[in-house]
Amino acid sequence: MTKPAKDEIHYILLKLHSLTGIVPVGAFLVIHLSINSLRTVGVWPFQLAIDALNNLPFLILIEIGFIYIPLLFHSLMGFYIIHVGKTNMFRYRYQRNWLYTMQRLTGAITFLFLIYHMGTTVGAKLWEGKHYFEAAPFLIDILNGEFQTWQGILIYTIGIVSATFHFSNGVWGFCVSWGILIGKNAQRNGAIVFAAMGLGLTFLGLATVLEFNMNPVSVEATG
Amino acid sequence: MRRRTAASKGRHPKKGVALPLDGEVIHKTMTDKKITFKIKRQDKPGSPSYWQNFQVPYKPFANIISCLMEIQKNPTTKAGKTVAPVTWDCNCLEEVCGSCTMVINGKVRQACTALIDNLEQPIALEPMSKFPVVRDLQVNRSRMFENLKKVKAWIDIDGSHDIGEGAIMPDSDRAKRYVMSECMTCGCCIEACPQFSLTNSFMGAATFNQVRLFNLHPAGSMNKEERLDAVMGEGGITDCGNAQVCVEVCPKNIPLTESIADIGRQTSWQFIKNLLVK
Ligand code: HEM
Ligand code: SF4
Ligand code: SF4
Ligand code: FES
Repeated sequence: MTKPAKDEIHYILLKLHSLTGIVPVGAFLVIHLSINSLRTVGVWPFQLAIDALNNLPFLILIEIGFIYIPLLFHSLMGFYIIHVGKTNMFRYRYQRNWLYTMQRLTGAITFLFLIYHMGTTVGAKLWEGKHYFEAAPFLIDILNGEFQTWQGILIYTIGIVSATFHFSNGVWGFCVSWGILIGKNAQRNGAIVFAAMGLGLTFLGLATVLEFNMNPVSVEATG
Repeated sequence: MRRRTAASKGRHPKKGVALPLDGEVIHKTMTDKKITFKIKRQDKPGSPSYWQNFQVPYKPFANIISCLMEIQKNPTTKAGKTVAPVTWDCNCLEEVCGSCTMVINGKVRQACTALIDNLEQPIALEPMSKFPVVRDLQVNRSRMFENLKKVKAWIDIDGSHDIGEGAIMPDSDRAKRYVMSECMTCGCCIEACPQFSLTNSFMGAATFNQVRLFNLHPAGSMNKEERLDAVMGEGGITDCGNAQVCVEVCPKNIPLTESIADIGRQTSWQFIKNLLVK
C-alpha cells in the first residue's frame, strides 16, 4: 500500500511526542524528583546520589541522548500542538476541556522553568567546569542560595507543580490516545490513579524545596 | 418539564383544549410578549458578517425554527428596517437529521429542539464557525461527508462474485454499534472541538466513531486496515487532544471518547503491524 509519506511521518512524529512524554522524559522526572527527595533524609545521601550521577561513564552522552534530545523534541512538538489547537474552555466549560488547556499551559510553563533551572544548575556546572566529585558541593551551594529568597521558592514551586501536573495528566492522555484506557469508567478510574500519583510527586518535590530552605548545609567534595 | 410532556404528546394548547396550562399560556399570549433575537448574518460565502436584531410575537412552545419562520414572514429588524429574510436549514424537526445545527446563545445545538421558553433573551443565533458559511445560518458541511468517504464508512457487499452470507454478530456488538450508528453528521462534536479549525485538516470525533462502527461489523472488518490507514496521517487520530468536549455536546449521546480511544488502540496495533509485517 503506497500512501503519501508525509502522513506516515506525521503519525510517527505525534506518536513519538506522546511516547517521549513517558519515556524518557517522564521517567526522568520521576527519578529526578525521587533522588532529590533524598535531601529530606539528610544532605549526605543526597550528595552521594549526585556523586554517583556525576561519575557515570559517558555522562554527557547519556544526558544528550536520553534527556536533552527527547526533551527538546517533546517540547518543540508540544509547541506545534499548542499552535494547532484553539482553546475554548470559557465557552464549553467542562472539566476535561479545562484540563486540555492546562496541559498546554503547564507544558509551556515547564519549558520556561527548565530554561531557568538548567541555566542555574547544569549550565553553571559546565561553565565552571565542575565535574565528578567537584560537582556536588558546587551544586549544593547554588541550591542552598536559590531557596533562601521567596522569588526562588516561588519559581521552583510553580515549576514543580507545572511539571508534575503536566506529567500526571499526560500519562492519562497517553493511556487514552494509545487505547489503554477505553471505557468511560476506565478513563475515570485512571484519572483518579494518575491524580494520586501526581499529588505524590508534587509532595516529593515541594518537601525537597522546604528542606533546602530550612536547612541549607554546605558540603566538602567526597573524592 | 410538564410543558414538554404536554407538547410531546401532541396536545399543543389550541384554544378550547382544556389543559391545566392554558390559562397561563393564553394570558401570556395576550400581553404581546416579544421574543428578541440577535442574529449573525452573512449574505454570501466569504462576505463579511454582521449582526441584526429581530423581534417576533411570543408563542408558547415556540422553538428557534418556528421563530425563524415568523421572521421570514415579516423580515423587519427591531429598528424597523425591512431586510432580506434570514435563511437557515432544517428538515426533520425532531433532532434526527442534524441539518438545523447552529450556535444558540454561544453553544452548538439543534435549532428544532431548542425551545424558546428554556432560553435566555436576547437569543443569539450564529452559524457554526468550523464550516464555511453559505448564507446567514446555513453552512456547508461537505468536509464531514468527504471524511466519511475517506474512511469508507460503509460495508462493501457488491463484488464481481457472490461473497456469500454475512457472518453473525454477537448481540453485545450489535448493541454497541446501534448507539454509534445514531450519528446524524450534525457537526456539533466538530464545532465544539478545540482541535478542529476551518483551515486545518482534522477529521473530528464523528469520523473516528464511524471507523469504529464499521470495523466492528463482521463484514465491515474486511476493510479494517484501509479505514485505519485513512486516519493515520495529518488530521487523523493523533491530532485529537482528548479535550472530550465532543462527547459532552453530542445530541445523540454517542460514546465518542470511547470510540476515539478504541481507534487509538486499533491504529497503534496497526502501526506496529505495518512496521513488522509490511
Ligand atoms: C517535565 C517535562 C515533561 C514531561 C514529563 C512531559 C510529559 C508529557 C506526557 C506524558 C504527555 C502525554 C502524551 C500524550 O498525550 O499522549 C505530554 C503531553 C504534552 N506535552 Fe509534555 N512533558 C514535559 C514537558 C513539556 C514541554 C516543555 C512542553 C512544551 C510546550 C510540553 C508540551 C506538551 C503538550 C502540548 C502535550 C499535549 C499533547 C496532546 O494532548 O496531544 N511538554 N507531556
Ligand atoms: S457524533 Fe454526535 S455530535 Fe458528532 S456529528 Fe454525530 S451526532 Fe453530531
Ligand atoms: S476529544 Fe477533544 S480534541 Fe478529540 S475530537 Fe473530541 S473534542 Fe476534539
Ligand atoms: S431539523 Fe432535523 S435535527 Fe433539527
